[in-house]
Amino acid sequence: MTQKKKILVVDDEVMMTRMLKRSLEATGNYEVQELNHGARALEACRTFMPDLVLLDVMMPDMDGGEVAAALSEDSELNAVKIVFLTAIVTKDEVPPTGADISGRTFLAKPVKTADLVACIEAQLNRQAF
Amino acid sequence: MRWSRKPIDNRMIDSTAGRTAVVHADRPEQVLLVDDNATNLQVLYQTLSGRGYRLLVARNGRQALEIAQKSEPALILLDIMMPDIDGFETCRRLKQDPRTRGSAVIFLSALDDTGNKVKGMQLGAVDYIAKPFDPDEVIVRVEIHLKIHRLEAQLARRNRQLEADNQHILAAMNEGIFGLDIDGTVVFVNPAAVCMTGCSEQELLGRPVHALGLFGGFGACVQAHPFYSCLKEGRICHNEDGELTRRDGTRFAVEYNCSPIFEDRTLSGAVVVFKDISERKQAERQLKRAYTELEKAHRELRDAQMRLIQAAKLESVGRLAAGVAHEVKNPLAVIQLGVDFLAGVESDDGVVSEVIRDMEEAVERADSVVKGLLDFSRESTLTLRPGDINQVIDHALHLVDHELIQHNIRLEKQLDEGIGIIDLDSNKLQQVFINVFMNAIQAMGRDGVLTVKSRVERIENPDRAGLDRERFSAGEPVVQVEVLDTGCGIAEESMVFDPFYTTKPTGQGTGLGLSVTRKIIDLHKGMIDIRNREEGGAAVRITLKMG
Repeated sequence: MTQKKKILVVDDEVMMTRMLKRSLEATGNYEVQELNHGARALEACRTFMPDLVLLDVMMPDMDGGEVAAALSEDSELNAVKIVFLTAIVTKDEVPPTGADISGRTFLAKPVKTADLVACIEAQLNRQAF
Repeated sequence: MRWSRKPIDNRMIDSTAGRTAVVHADRPEQVLLVDDNATNLQVLYQTLSGRGYRLLVARNGRQALEIAQKSEPALILLDIMMPDIDGFETCRRLKQDPRTRGSAVIFLSALDDTGNKVKGMQLGAVDYIAKPFDPDEVIVRVEIHLKIHRLEAQLARRNRQLEADNQHILAAMNEGIFGLDIDGTVVFVNPAAVCMTGCSEQELLGRPVHALGLFGGFGACVQAHPFYSCLKEGRICHNEDGELTRRDGTRFAVEYNCSPIFEDRTLSGAVVVFKDISERKQAERQLKRAYTELEKAHRELRDAQMRLIQAAKLESVGRLAAGVAHEVKNPLAVIQLGVDFLAGVESDDGVVSEVIRDMEEAVERADSVVKGLLDFSRESTLTLRPGDINQVIDHALHLVDHELIQHNIRLEKQLDEGIGIIDLDSNKLQQVFINVFMNAIQAMGRDGVLTVKSRVERIENPDRAGLDRERFSAGEPVVQVEVLDTGCGIAEESMVFDPFYTTKPTGQGTGLGLSVTRKIIDLHKGMIDIRNREEGGAAVRITLKMG
C-alpha cells in the first residue's frame, strides 16, 4: 500500500472544506487538511507539505489566483499541484471533468465527488518536469 | 414664327432704320413733287396743297435726289420724262441710296403704257399715275400711299422693337437655344448656347446638329439622334437627364427640350432649349450622399445606444449573476458532495437511495438556474449543428410534462413533420422552449390549453409579417414555431423581453427567462415576438432561418 497523498483544501467556507475533507478521506487514499484563509495557505503548505492544493478562487482575504502565484514563486513549494474549484463559471465553460485554462486546472462548483477524485488523480499522476 | 438669325426680311419695306419719316403730330409728312415742266408742277402743287402735308418741289432728277437725301420725304411723285437724269434713273438711284430708299415713289407720266408701268414697279416704285391726271385721283393715291408708308414705318418700328426684345431675352437667357431647320441644320444659336458648347457661332451655324455630336456621341447617324423624331414626326423630345459634350470633349449634365416648329401646320424645324444642370446634379448627389451619411450616422448612433443600454443591463445582470453564482454554488457544492458521500454509505434502505436521487436532481436543477443566469451575463456562442426542431420541441415538452399534468393543462401539438433538418443549437433552443412553455403554464395557472405549432413559411413581406427586414428578406423560407396559451395574456409587449421584467409574484420568477430566450434566438439570427390573442391568452412566435 502506497502512502496516502496529502491534500490541502483552501476555501473560506468552513462547510465546504469540511465536506471536501470528509468526501476525499472517505476514499481512503488521501490525507486532507482544511484551511479557511487564503492568506495562510503558504504557511500551511510549509508545515503540511501537501502533494496537491484544492483551491477556491473567490476568497475575501487572498484569492486563489494570488495563492497560486505565491506558491509558484516559492522554491520549495513550486512543485505542489493545484486544482482550482470555482463557482463563477458555467458547466459549459468548465465541464464536470475539469478544464485546463492557461495551464491551470479548474473544476466548477458544484462538483461530483467522482469527478473531483478523477481530476485530482490526473494531476497527481502528471509527471513533474 | 420662323427662327432665323436675321429678323423678318423687311428690306423692301424699310431698311433705313431710324431715318424714315416718322409721323409726329408736330411734324407733317413731306411729299416731294418732281417735274421739269413748271406748269405740271404748279398744278400738282395746287392739287395737293392745304392737305396737311408739306410739299417739296424739284425741277429735275439731280435736284430730286438732293432734296430726297436731305429731307427724306415719305412720298415722291416722279415724272418719267425729264432731261439729263430721267425718272427711271432717278428712281434707281433713290432705291440704291440707303438714305432715300425708304421714300415711296409714284411715277407720273404721259406714257400710259404697260411696259413703262412694269419697268417703274421693277425699279421699286409703288404706283403709277398717268398724265393728264385727275386731281382727285392724285389726291386719293397720295393719301393711300402716305397711309401705307406710315403703316409700314410703324410696322418696321414695331418689328425692330420686337427683334431687339427678342435678342435681349435670348442673350439674357441662361438656357442655350438652337434653332434647327427641317433638315436639322443649325440656323440660330444664342450666346448661352455658344458659351455652353464651347463652339463659336460660326462653327455651329449652318451645320447639321447631329454632326456636331453635342447631345450624345451619335456621330453622323441621324436616326439615332434624339432630335430626329422631333424633326420627322413633330414630337416633343424631352430629356431631364441628358449629357452635352463640349467642343473640347468635356461633358456635363443637361436637361433639354426639342420642340417642333410648325409654319402653316407644316413642320418647318425645331427649337432646342438646353440647360446646364451639372450644379443641380452635383447638389443632388451631395444631398444624397449627405443623406446616406446622416442615415448611417443615425443608425450607428442608434446601434451604439442600443449596445450601451444592453451593456448597462448586462453589466448589472452580470454582476448579479456572479454574486448569485458564488453564493448559490458554494452551498450547492456542499450539498452535492454530501449527497455523494451519503450515496457511498452502505444502506439497504430503498427510501434513502430515493431521497438521495431526488436531492441530486434538485442540485442539478438549482445549478442549471444559476447557470442560466450566468449564461445571460456572458457573451454566449452557439454551437450550431444540423438538427430537428420538432425533436427539440418534444424534448422540451417532455421536461415540462410534469408541470402540465400538475396544472391540468391540455397539450395540443401540431408539428409539421416536413420541416427537415436545420442548423440549430439544440441545447440552447431547448432552453428557449422550456422558458416559453413554463411562462405559458404560469400564465394559465390551472386548466387551459397549450398549443404548439411548427411549420415552414415563405415570407412575402417581412414588414407585413412583423419581421425584422434586416434579418429576413422577402421570399425567404423560414421555420416558425408558435406557442399559444389560454392564460392571462401580456400587459406590455415591449417589455416582456427585458431582463427582470416579470409579472409574477416575488419568488415565482426572476424575469430572466424571456430575456435569456430572446438572446438565444438573437444568436440564431432569428426573431421572437409575443402578442395577445383575440380569444385570450398570449401567442409567442419564434421565427428561425432555414439556411
